Amino acid sequence: MSKKKKNILRVMVLLVLVLGIIQLYEPKTMIDTVNKYGMAFAPRTLYWGVTGQDVRVVQDKLLRWQYYDGQVDGIYGARTYRAVRRFQEKNGLKVDGVVGPSTASAMGISASAAPAGSTQGVSRSADEYLLARTIHGEARGEPYIGKVAVGAVVLNRTKSPSFPNTIAGVVYQPLAFTAVADGQINLTPNKDSINAARDALNGWDPTYGCLYYWNPATATSKWIWSRKVTLKIGKHWFGI
Amino acid sequence: MEKRRHWIAPVLIGILLVGAIAWGYNLYTINERYATALDNHYQRLFHDVKSHVENVQVGLSKALVATSKERNILLFSQIMTDANFAQDKLGQMPISHADIANTEKFLAQAADYSYFLIQKHLDGKDISPEEREALWSLQENSAMFNGELARLHDSMAESGYIYEAAAVFSKKDRNVNDKNEFQTSLTNLESHVGKTPELIYDGPFADQIINKKPEGLGNKKVSMEDAARIARDFIGGNKSTRIEAFEQGEDIDELRIPAYTFHLFQGNQKNDLPIYAGVSKKGGKLIWMANPRPIGKEDVSIKDAEKLALDYLKKHGFENMEPNYSLKYDGHILFNFAYKEDDITIYPDLIKVKVALDTGEIISFDASAYYLNHKDRKLDTPKISAEEARERLRTKFDIDSTRLALIPKGKNEILCYEFKGKYKDADFIIYINALDGKEEQILQLIHNENGTLTF
Repeated sequence: MSKKKKNILRVMVLLVLVLGIIQLYEPKTMIDTVNKYGMAFAPRTLYWGVTGQDVRVVQDKLLRWQYYDGQVDGIYGARTYRAVRRFQEKNGLKVDGVVGPSTASAMGISASAAPAGSTQGVSRSADEYLLARTIHGEARGEPYIGKVAVGAVVLNRTKSPSFPNTIAGVVYQPLAFTAVADGQINLTPNKDSINAARDALNGWDPTYGCLYYWNPATATSKWIWSRKVTLKIGKHWFGI
Repeated sequence: MEKRRHWIAPVLIGILLVGAIAWGYNLYTINERYATALDNHYQRLFHDVKSHVENVQVGLSKALVATSKERNILLFSQIMTDANFAQDKLGQMPISHADIANTEKFLAQAADYSYFLIQKHLDGKDISPEEREALWSLQENSAMFNGELARLHDSMAESGYIYEAAAVFSKKDRNVNDKNEFQTSLTNLESHVGKTPELIYDGPFADQIINKKPEGLGNKKVSMEDAARIARDFIGGNKSTRIEAFEQGEDIDELRIPAYTFHLFQGNQKNDLPIYAGVSKKGGKLIWMANPRPIGKEDVSIKDAEKLALDYLKKHGFENMEPNYSLKYDGHILFNFAYKEDDITIYPDLIKVKVALDTGEIISFDASAYYLNHKDRKLDTPKISAEEARERLRTKFDIDSTRLALIPKGKNEILCYEFKGKYKDADFIIYINALDGKEEQILQLIHNENGTLTF
């Protein structure tokens, strides 16, 4: 009898434990996204390809802690990227090679010294990174020109009256991009996608003003074929 | 012993069952919470759109009655705000773009048109009969929109979630025929709004501005073979250069600049990185080229790079180009060149040149803005002097430089004095109309280490 009681007790404890774990399981993805991409905007998020004084600070710290073996030149390149990844791995952070708020605070870097005055906090890098993520989610298997073309379509839409007028408005418009709907937009963009976003923002438009693109192999909407078909870049058809 | 074993299995299954039920219930409540939160958000958007569109309609009706310019300016600024909000919020609703493209356009143009009329009133001009007509048609459209929204509102009170009503998350492959009330209503509106005549005015969302055709290309038609040769000559390829054209659709000629686009492979290897180029079908001009090759160690100074870019432009027949702004990133530097005529900087005629800082090679060239805008111009002579223009500036504005420039304004180009200077430690460029002294444009400069952005 006493053994039976013990068993029941064990079972009860187990049950409580299991339930406890289930209750604690809450998806944390939203918070992760906010942390990862620095949506609070205050300090600049550093990633492959950015340059500046803040990169120098990161490199200096990593050099002193022996994660980094390159030059402190203020350019976020392959070596800095690997050093940041090593640092994140060692410190139990999310290993993505991007210096966001959590990595920055783990390094002991406070909010970056943005210039004071009437242009404080104004910069294009938040848009640039969002566009890079969109390109990465939508077209990472495409040739370089196909990536720029996808970025150009997003930018052309911001200038069209039939679409929202901001990059975020266009990207997050419901049902507009599959990569947004299935969360692929939250993948960390690679260097190619970031460069393509920059080229698109700097005015390269290989689509000559197109507003739509679709992959004939996967497009589900019949409506899209009623658009004016203009040219094919990579696997995508572009249209107006 | 055996008895005990009999006893363990059901208990384990029991635990698993209880665990699974608890887990499932937990997921269900979380899911319910998300669904409600999302629906609340969409409900809010829907009601906001409804009240904004109501305000637009009422505002337009009032503007048609009002007689004073002052009253109209206030009304139009309200219409502009409400139309902008309505468009923004409509774009966030879970409705496919195909169902609301024209409606969004109508709202954007209503806002844009109001802004145009505000400017007109501020210049002391009255609304013309044609513009009254246009306002009337805008008012009719917004009234119709309002009616549809009210109808939807009633039907939505019965069906549950708004995104179920919009039927966007339920089926992947939506059949055109089984549209529900939500879509039917929006599609009615779409086709109605789509039929209203184009608004003729001067603003960024006006159809004439969007559909502007290039001015600097000429009319000579060019075959694809000739275009390929033009691209190869421009890039400096040799006989072994392999050229492939991008596949074209049937409506390629409806693009703003109809063009042939090519890959050019310089070497013979299969995995060679191509250079891309676009050649216009009319006039056979190379519109743009880009060579997205990886870049090695920086070896060229910015000054040398600028000279290389200028030489490149001269070599390809672009004289009188002046560098205005540069941006250095990823081992290359991008220069913006503007055309210069009679010492006046012509900003619309813009060419971008990118120089690789490892070898000094030109890796990208883009003259699409130049060919869209360039033409033989009759430039005005300024009616006021630089001194007179300077008097119009704020007193504590420290001027660094002054020059004459032609800047785009809607479909027109206006001659201005350009004042670059500082006000309270921030950099600005201010444009004063050289004919009537009006303050036309203010740009603020935003510095970073690699270049300067103009907003």
